[in-house]
Amino acid sequence: MSTATGYNFAYLDEQSKRMIRRAILKGVAIPGYQVPFGGREMPLPHGWGTGGMQVTASVIGEADKLKVIDQGADDTTNAVSIRRFFAHTAGVETTEQTAEATLIQTRHRIPERPLKANQILIYQVPIPEPLRFIEPRESETRKMHALSEYGAMQVKLYEDVARFGHIATSYDYPVMVNNRYMMDPSPIPKFDNPKMSMMPALQLFGAGFEKRIYAVPPFTRVESLDFDDHPFEVQSWEEACAICGSDHSFLDEVITDDNGSKMFVCSDTDYCGDRVAQGFVGSAADLPIAEMETEQ
Amino acid sequence: MPVSSHELIAGFAEPVAASQQVFRAALKVMSEPGTLVETDYVEQAPKGLDLSTWQLALSLLDPDTRVWLSPTLAANDAVISNLRFHCQCPLVDAPKEADFAIALHNELPDLAELNWGTAEYPDRSTTLLVQVPGLNSAPFWTLSGPGIEQTRTLSIAGLPETFCADLIKSRQRFPLGIDIFWCCGNRLTALPRTTAIKAGMTEPSQNDKETC
Repeated sequence: MSTATGYNFAYLDEQSKRMIRRAILKGVAIPGYQVPFGGREMPLPHGWGTGGMQVTASVIGEADKLKVIDQGADDTTNAVSIRRFFAHTAGVETTEQTAEATLIQTRHRIPERPLKANQILIYQVPIPEPLRFIEPRESETRKMHALSEYGAMQVKLYEDVARFGHIATSYDYPVMVNNRYMMDPSPIPKFDNPKMSMMPALQLFGAGFEKRIYAVPPFTRVESLDFDDHPFEVQSWEEACAICGSDHSFLDEVITDDNGSKMFVCSDTDYCGDRVAQGFVGSAADLPIAEMETEQ
Repeated sequence: MPVSSHELIAGFAEPVAASQQVFRAALKVMSEPGTLVETDYVEQAPKGLDLSTWQLALSLLDPDTRVWLSPTLAANDAVISNLRFHCQCPLVDAPKEADFAIALHNELPDLAELNWGTAEYPDRSTTLLVQVPGLNSAPFWTLSGPGIEQTRTLSIAGLPETFCADLIKSRQRFPLGIDIFWCCGNRLTALPRTTAIKAGMTEPSQNDKETC
């Protein structure tokens, strides 16, 4: 049961939840289409994940186990606050382990560990409209979606090719969902884009400031835009994670002193911790920072 | 029509938890079309409504949703009184004006009579709830599309042929379309507008052991 007195289960009132639930069902029925909804005020500012929180509040039940990540990490301010918010208002169990969670609210990453059926991944979305920086008028972007008129985005990617010789967009990389709607995958690195396609878990997206909800059902094709002669590619690193030695996960660059020394570590803390527990070690295993991570 | 208090029955015993659980069942079947789910959060439904239809109504309907009822349900005092009392949903006469339409399998409106949404706002369509006499996973229809890894089979009893044909054909108008919840006893499934339907050779049987 809820541990906070004076609030409904999971903070939102029942009528708001019903409205959001109906929007989620429409979003699932029309994959990639942005459903407008009556965004509610949440007790934290827009930009801190209010859209994702409203979706989570409408979906979550007493039996759920919630994981919240921010840039892959369970222990950053945003993730800790949101996890505590739902532990407090819904009394649900929380976890840092991807495999154990039934609901995962995320800011800007998809966990490295493949998600399973019956898990729900909820993205916090700042700007849901992929065409917004090309066409600022909502009335126009609505028409572009209605007519599948997506040439402008191909031109934008082509401008990258003309200027840099390759597609330089590295996050927020536009995708086509089920071969119909162009969708903003939220600012996840394009490294994560391939994970969205045919994922066994349900993916829900909530944009609080822009008041939009959209969804990708399980086993739905999600394709990143590209050209025949410039196929879609994900980032790769020459380095491996300094803590767990992983050479296949998304790495963050960490500056370690004032002399420009740096190390690369997994952005997904749960995945990295798991690997360390399994005995994998990285190049920095003898540094104090790695010991600190291992002790946790 | 006023609410007849002698027709009123209890709703969810625990409205917050039950609404959430029924929504999750609805979300499950809408995101994995053709999956059969059973919901048991009420002991009885108003006479004329199946348990699953009633639970969906309690979970999803409120004063913001206009509801159309098929003729038998619209003339049923128990159904109307309980919907008005528990959901406070306005009832409308034309299916086109409805956000949700609740129909019996033998009183289905023409798909064309419902609201399909607009090209800019395909979400403004009517969601249809249909009560059918049999619902199981026998291979009458073969389903494919988002939410289905390969294919899934589904058998729905008691549907008029013209309605089935219209439904199969309606997929050509995507993203416009009608999302349908199918209800039978406490059993529930859904076919959103994205699900492609291939009709099979055998007729769905109402006497099948698997029916509800």
